[in-house]
Amino acid sequence: MRLRFKPRHAPSIRGRLLGYLLLPLLVLMVASIWADHRTFVTPMYESFDRALSRAAIAIAAHVQQAPDGKLYVQSPDRGPIPLRPPDDQSPPPMDGDPYQRHGPPMRFDPADRPISWMRLYPGARDSFLYRVSLPDGQTLAGDEGLPIAQGKTVDNLAYGDATYKQLALRIASYQTTVGGEAITVTVAETVHHRNTVVRRLDTVIGLSDGIQLSLVLGLCLFGITVALRPMNRLRDQIMRRQPQSLQPLPLEPVPGEVRPLVESLNTLLVTVRDSTLAQQHFLTNAAHQLRTPLTGLKAQLEVLANETHDNAQQERITRLQGSVDRLAHTANQLLALARAEPSAHGPGDFVAIQLDALIGTVIDSMLDRALAHDIDLGADCGPAQVHGVYWLLHELLINLLDNALRHTPDGGKITLRCGLHNGSPYLEVEDSGPGIPHAERERVRERFYRAAGSNGQSSGLGLAIVEEITRSHRARFEILDAHEGSGARMRIQFPAHA
Amino acid sequence: MRILLVEDDPLVSDAIVRGLATAGYVVDAVVDAESVQGRLDTTHYDLAIVDLGLPGEDGFALVRRLRRDGSPLPLLIVTARDGLDDRVNALDLGADDYLVKPFALPELAARCRALIRRATAATANEMVVGRLRIDLAGRRAIDDTGRVLELTRREWSILECLAHHSGRVVSKERLIQAIVSWDEEISGNAIEVHVSRLRAKLGEAATVRGIRGLGYRLDDA
Repeated sequence: MRLRFKPRHAPSIRGRLLGYLLLPLLVLMVASIWADHRTFVTPMYESFDRALSRAAIAIAAHVQQAPDGKLYVQSPDRGPIPLRPPDDQSPPPMDGDPYQRHGPPMRFDPADRPISWMRLYPGARDSFLYRVSLPDGQTLAGDEGLPIAQGKTVDNLAYGDATYKQLALRIASYQTTVGGEAITVTVAETVHHRNTVVRRLDTVIGLSDGIQLSLVLGLCLFGITVALRPMNRLRDQIMRRQPQSLQPLPLEPVPGEVRPLVESLNTLLVTVRDSTLAQQHFLTNAAHQLRTPLTGLKAQLEVLANETHDNAQQERITRLQGSVDRLAHTANQLLALARAEPSAHGPGDFVAIQLDALIGTVIDSMLDRALAHDIDLGADCGPAQVHGVYWLLHELLINLLDNALRHTPDGGKITLRCGLHNGSPYLEVEDSGPGIPHAERERVRERFYRAAGSNGQSSGLGLAIVEEITRSHRARFEILDAHEGSGARMRIQFPAHA
Repeated sequence: MRILLVEDDPLVSDAIVRGLATAGYVVDAVVDAESVQGRLDTTHYDLAIVDLGLPGEDGFALVRRLRRDGSPLPLLIVTARDGLDDRVNALDLGADDYLVKPFALPELAARCRALIRRATAATANEMVVGRLRIDLAGRRAIDDTGRVLELTRREWSILECLAHHSGRVVSKERLIQAIVSWDEEISGNAIEVHVSRLRAKLGEAATVRGIRGLGYRLDDA
């Protein structure tokens, strides 16, 4: 795709489609991750909490009332049984005393205060602590500073989160009565394990949703590319056309949405072609209407000049002839310029042209004029072929040579060259005239521009015609210094592939 | 030499009649294509000059009709139309040459001379270039004093080739093809040597002009 024709901010349909799909899809993905998170994590959290609450109930079962009415915690021989099986560790050994081997032994004895951290089971990374307290805040057993869960109480159980001794804890408080006295058993565990599980779950959810989204995006991209293929074909078709082509575009592979556009484009092309044909028709007629009386006038003056022997009259006839010649020249140039317009020829007019043969033809037709001024007109040709409109390139070379003949003094030298320069064909006309100053090299290509000191014969259109024809052949027209002497060297550099 | 002119514009027609008369031709002018056949039936013409834009039957139709009837008359088209299509069309139909208006009378005279010369060469096996009479059948060139030029085989071939295209530039490659058979080889320098010898022998009778980088042209003097 040629970017230079593309405005910087023009949105492509493909980009817009992708944008409009990508944004909702991203929102959808976030929503679905959130929903999955809610669906899986909440029940898991609840089961963790239930396990924690069982520990609280188990501890409460060990609170006894002494005969004196005081409450005490009966010390079991060993700690509470593991609350849940480990998911990533080997299960705790069922015999023996794990606490003797793997951590500080934990006895539910008030004498052991302050309570140290207790491992729930061997290898677990989470720690567990507890507190048995009375409603007045007095601690019967366990960690005195452990906060009591303040959340909503359901079935005598309340849950909460707290930070204690710089550890994030999940707390469960169980309210019960022992011998008519209300007690609160609070248990807490660090959240390391449940966080790990949640993170892992979230990772899995994120990954699976991300993969789903990528797949959907990929499918969208593929679909868009396939759906836009007819558009791309149309674009390629338009870009492959010759810029001058006025042929209507085929409607066959065009999708329904673009069909009206192509149809109106075709209507426009037909209109342009019709007006071009009308213009060509007008030019043909104008050429005929102008040239025939000019021919009569010119020929009659020549006959008159031959028949007149009066010197004074001869001079006046010569001046008349000059004016008629100039008129004829200008009329020809104007017609040539109008017919050099890109709209005046179609792609079918472009053929392979040998530049050396063209130079031979042009020199042949202009040789007498050069000989009349004793100008050494010659050629220096290498093989060079271009793709062009024959009569336009003929006109171009005629105009370059005509220009050179006008500016070369009698006895001068003009050389026409062609060949390949870096693989690109070129055409060159070098003269031994006064040359063209750098400052004027752009202006001489303008229509009706006549350089200072040019004689009255010039119409000021020759180089404008050259410029126009050069452009319609995608070539470059350069005005350079002559290789030798002071003259001008006009160079037409054609594109390499033409 | 008698020329039939078919041209509807009186100013152009009158000038051509007078102009060609000074070049030594007798010109009969008619204004439309319909009058042509009557003239051809009664008079022998060496050439017809036909304008394409005629009232009634146009120049294309006239050329087509003449060629269909088998007329060998050399036809020179003059026209205000310079489109390539017109040119190709006219030449395809059987016209011999094509001249775009506005033209100078000397140019018209030169084209007429070349066409008549070509037609004469085909029928009489003879060509006249300048003061040189070229006898194609006898393979000899005679100058205006009646002297037969002594030419080598290659010099004769060069002169013959140039005379067939007199007034036109003939490329060196074409001359080489004209003078050597396919198993011989000859360089461009050798051609120059032959041409300079030929030039010396022609003297003032005709001119072989060298065109730098292109080839040679045979001129009347």
